Amino acid sequence: MASLTLKGVTKTFGSFTAIRDVNLDVADGEFLVLLGPSGCGKSTLLRMLAGLETVTTGEIHVDAKRVDDLPPSARDMAFVFQSYALYPHMTVRRNITFPLIMRQFRWWFHVPVLGYFAKRRIERSPEVRDLVESTAHTLALTKMLDRLPKTLSGGQRQRVALGRAMVRKPQVFLMDEPLSNLDAKLRTAMRAELISLHRNVGGTFVYVTHDQVEAMTMGTRIALMRDGVVQQFATARDIYSSPINTYVARFIGTPPMNLLEAQADGPTRLRIGQTILDLPAPLHGLATGAVTLGIRPTALSITDTSHPATLTGAVALVEHIGAESLIALKLDGARNAHDDLDGPRDQIMITVPGYSELRSGDRVSLSLDMNEAVLFSADTGKRLI
Amino acid sequence: MSAEDTSGQTAGPLRIATVVVVLMAALFPLYWMFVTSLTPSAALFSVPPRVVPDLTQWSVYAEAFFEIPVRVWLINSAIVAGGTTVLSLGLAIFPAYALSRFRFAGKGPFALGLFATQMLPEAMLVVPLYAIFGQLHLLNTLVGLILANTAFAVPVITWILKGAIDGVPTEIEEAARVDGCSRITIVLSIVLPLVAPSLAAAAVIAFFHGWNEYVFAQTLISDDKLRTASVGLAGFVGELSTPVHSVMAVGIIYTLPAVIFYLFVQRFIVAGMIAGSVKG
Repeated sequence: MASLTLKGVTKTFGSFTAIRDVNLDVADGEFLVLLGPSGCGKSTLLRMLAGLETVTTGEIHVDAKRVDDLPPSARDMAFVFQSYALYPHMTVRRNITFPLIMRQFRWWFHVPVLGYFAKRRIERSPEVRDLVESTAHTLALTKMLDRLPKTLSGGQRQRVALGRAMVRKPQVFLMDEPLSNLDAKLRTAMRAELISLHRNVGGTFVYVTHDQVEAMTMGTRIALMRDGVVQQFATARDIYSSPINTYVARFIGTPPMNLLEAQADGPTRLRIGQTILDLPAPLHGLATGAVTLGIRPTALSITDTSHPATLTGAVALVEHIGAESLIALKLDGARNAHDDLDGPRDQIMITVPGYSELRSGDRVSLSLDMNEAVLFSADTGKRLI
Repeated sequence: MSAEDTSGQTAGPLRIATVVVVLMAALFPLYWMFVTSLTPSAALFSVPPRVVPDLTQWSVYAEAFFEIPVRVWLINSAIVAGGTTVLSLGLAIFPAYALSRFRFAGKGPFALGLFATQMLPEAMLVVPLYAIFGQLHLLNTLVGLILANTAFAVPVITWILKGAIDGVPTEIEEAARVDGCSRITIVLSIVLPLVAPSLAAAAVIAFFHGWNEYVFAQTLISDDKLRTASVGLAGFVGELSTPVHSVMAVGIIYTLPAVIFYLFVQRFIVAGMIAGSVKG
């Protein structure tokens, strides 16, 4: 159990800056998720925490102890790899026991026969055996303890990798996309297992993923990264409801937040195309000139066309996904401010509950729940507060 | 994986015929040696030649052991081959690991330089080696012979092991580092077991190199007691007479330990050591 502090952590490879000035304060027992697209530097940051990559500048502290110049083994952190990285020539039992053997390792363990017996003695000592077997029991691996990793399924291998991390009772668990190689069903099950593992084992978790569902469901806090820079470091709820910039707004949520080009019309009103919308009290006075209105697809609803002072448009596409339907709407006289895709500039997404009977080409009006809206600067993309 | 792919195929008659033909081509010289060794001198050049061994002639093997110092030669050869194997593997493991895993100045030239030693014929190096060994008092010692053979075996083995280590996923090593392994423990406890098949192949190469080597053994050793089997066997071919059946008998004896060593080691040359470690 330990707190984790990163101060001005930067990593450069030659002239390329992979991580730029990351500052994070992770409290004891927290489940931090590093979230971001491929190549955003989240794995590199995790490897720097583990000591597998050096820190170019900045400091990493575990509790009060500075660790960034310590070797990986001296940091008391366990690392779970995306690829599991089990020792293929060792049984499951030996894989899980291995970190404990290494704690008592002496140079003469390299002597062939002597080393074999010495390692076996540690493996069979009551305290080690009990710990390994109770860990295996927790992870439902008891029946597989004497098998080789190659005879296990992906999910079982992943649990062995977790077991190898757990027996060390480390201060910090580091996990690099540990579920990304599993199929969807198993991933959901393992996600629940990891959450309960965090609850039962305690310890500080740092978890890397590009999957926003994993991030939202598992993390006590999320650090959303882009191009080596932490965009926002907050709880899942805050990141979802109060994204700090348009990038975060578009990264989180399926479908992502709609961004619309808008103009301030006095301190309390907003104009989108020809439509004038009243701003709720918290947003009064924030907008001047051109702004970007951010609104989740769930905060939009379809009304009939007779309703005055709303956005109107034509249905472009309806996708039924069971409990709800996703509707792509082609707006009249309004443009979206999405900078992350090449799609049409006049379409937004709406989520409606149940099975929508709308067909493409239908004319509809929109009602916007402005209490859930956020405003961004049109120039910088930063949220206006 | 490839082993699994081929195991499903049925052995068709053409396949079996091919295997039989190739096997016969490979084994016939051995069989001919065996038949010749058991053929009385008088019948050696009979036409047509004998194709069935004369099993009353076993005494030629007893002669080889008790009248010719074959035992001593074989022991010397075993020491040289065994020493070459152990020393070559020991010396090649670490450069192979370094070539595979580290980036350092001069890595390319170093790796190529290893090949340079393979480009020179042994015969060309005999004279300088003789001079050097003379100064170091290594002439007429099996240690000297082991060193000379090792110098030729190490580069090849280094490359074989480098290729094998390249195939070990780096995540496994990183996992070991996090688990508390030093670099040397990683090499000895994690990497070496995973490249065991290549290690076995390298051992075979080193052993056969030491076992078969002739030029150095002939030049650097002059003491009869330190003679290796390759030189001893060649010494049979006399200027005036060559006892063909004895040569063949000793030849058979000379071949057997090498075959046994190979059969022992080849059990380790199996594929799939790394399977199960990382998601394929």
